[in-house]
Amino acid sequence: MKLAWREIKNSKVRFIILGSIVFLVSLLTFIISGLANGLSADNASLIKDLPEGHIFMSEDADEMYNMSRIDRGTEKKLLNEREDASVFSIQMGFMNDGNEKQHSVAFVTSTGSDLFNHVEAGEVILDRSFEGEGIQVGDVLTNNQFSGEFIVKGFVDQKKFSHAPVAYINIDNYREMYRVEEMQLAFIPEGESSFEIAGLQSFTNQEFLNTIPSYSAEQMSLNMIVWFLVIISGMLFGIFFYMMNVQKIGLYGILKAIGLKTGDLFKMMWTQMLFITFISLVLSAVISQVFNGIAPEGMPFNLTMETTVQLSVVFLITGFIGSTISGIQIKKVEPLQAIQQGEV
Amino acid sequence: MSIFTMDKVKKSFTNGEVEEEILKGISLTLKEGEITALVGASGSGKSTLLTIAAGLQNASEGKIIFEGENINALNQEQIRKIRAKEFGFVFQFAHLVPFLTVEEQLMLMLDIAESKLVKKDRVREVERILELVEMDHRKTAYPSSLSGGEKQRVAVARAMIHQPKILFADEPTASLDSKRSKDVMTLIRNLTKEQKVTTLMVTHDEEMLTYADHVINMRDGVVFKEESAGVY
Ligand SMILES: Nc1ncnc2c1ncn2[C@@H]1O[C@H](COP(=O)(O)OP(=O)(O)OP(=O)(O)O)[C@@H](O)[C@H]1O
Ligand SMILES: [Mg+2]
Repeated sequence: MKLAWREIKNSKVRFIILGSIVFLVSLLTFIISGLANGLSADNASLIKDLPEGHIFMSEDADEMYNMSRIDRGTEKKLLNEREDASVFSIQMGFMNDGNEKQHSVAFVTSTGSDLFNHVEAGEVILDRSFEGEGIQVGDVLTNNQFSGEFIVKGFVDQKKFSHAPVAYINIDNYREMYRVEEMQLAFIPEGESSFEIAGLQSFTNQEFLNTIPSYSAEQMSLNMIVWFLVIISGMLFGIFFYMMNVQKIGLYGILKAIGLKTGDLFKMMWTQMLFITFISLVLSAVISQVFNGIAPEGMPFNLTMETTVQLSVVFLITGFIGSTISGIQIKKVEPLQAIQQGEV
Repeated sequence: MSIFTMDKVKKSFTNGEVEEEILKGISLTLKEGEITALVGASGSGKSTLLTIAAGLQNASEGKIIFEGENINALNQEQIRKIRAKEFGFVFQFAHLVPFLTVEEQLMLMLDIAESKLVKKDRVREVERILELVEMDHRKTAYPSSLSGGEKQRVAVARAMIHQPKILFADEPTASLDSKRSKDVMTLIRNLTKEQKVTTLMVTHDEEMLTYADHVINMRDGVVFKEESAGVY
């Protein structure tokens, strides 16, 4: 619609200011959301990378995975019944390298499922972050609870738990180190939600993640910031168009008097809002994607195109709501009022 | 049947507790193609009458018949359509759109009036009317760079470009000096005569009555005197 463009062209500065604020707010939102996602991967990619399914803990574990024990009988029954099921354990611990340097790791072991890596006794597969610390295939690592040694068999990409790199070890080594027979957790991919096992409590992957204390605290605060920013941007539009509209009440009255539809005034505002938001979002999406590409190795940053698009849609919707609410005053303008007010 | 009549129109406003009747039963007829001037003391209800006639506010009672239809009984959207297509407006101030050039103001009016002209004819029509109001040399100017008289001439052009049947003007010259007032009035007179537009104009200025065909004198909410004016 012509009025919308002509006004933008004529009041460039105002619209550029609004656009740059929207740009900055949305860029910040994208960056923080990338950080939230990156941190979440850094915290728990081991779990996040599992296919959709259910994780089971013993009921008496009180939702703490390291208190959970799945007794051998249940384990057997489960693995017989569902051949895609897997039982596994996670224990936080340390490994020492040849230079007596200590590395904190999350030891993971499991029964034969290809969702987890498997090694022979005395071997270990590590998260690739170890490579950056100078560990190579064939190196020997030790653990003070373990009599033998671990030979590094290989590396896997991005497998973390509780911010520690994962070390896949053999189930027998695990039993020796932690002096337990039972595994902690069971996983059934795509399990019907009604799948019940006596004595076990079922969690979706996401629900399980939320039982990890550091995970939920971290994600909650970051997500809260993201939503605050989204709401702020909506209010920004509301306030901006409110001020623009207040200044133009006289003009709106005249336009209504000479017969312009109220709907056309709304369309004018929506066009402007969409135009500004679209340009700002494209800019901040491009910049945040570039940042995604060049973010330094150690920085947990991961912004998918999907998240960017989703957030952009949310921005458009809040912008729409914000401007529309402030546009209610347009509807209230009486043509008469403006004429009697004199020059606009 | 005449094009526009008002029949026993009343209008009251409530100020707090008290209800005040501003128009106390006004009946009048606008003669087709003539300029009817509405005069009277300040506060006598001239603007109120004009805005009711133009469908900008409702009468409390009475009929306003435009082309056989009582516009006081129409809904907002129906009245808007009539205002857009059949009426033209000039007010004390030009009220131009600040971010449109002179020619764009007129194009906008053609849009609002849903003019049937194609683009090429619209451009020609804008040219024509700008020549008539002697603003063709400023067609790409913005209102902020025009003088008061120039703005008002553009406002007159805007009120006439869509070939309205009735022109409503509320003190169209009140913001102008005597020379500019005469220019604008001459313009209104020439344009309305040329396009056979029926005009209702409120004025304070005795001098402006010389441009009218017909004068209606109001006092305290009633028509006090009606006379034909000698054209100057
Ligand atoms: N919306 C309203 N609410 C209450 N009173 C109103 C309203 N509009 C007009 N009035 C009153 O109606 C009376 C007539 O007003 P109107 O504007 O029609 O006078 P007028 O003849 O045009 O005067 P002027 O020559 O000064 O323009 C005034 O006393 C005014 O205060
Ligand atoms: Mg008045």
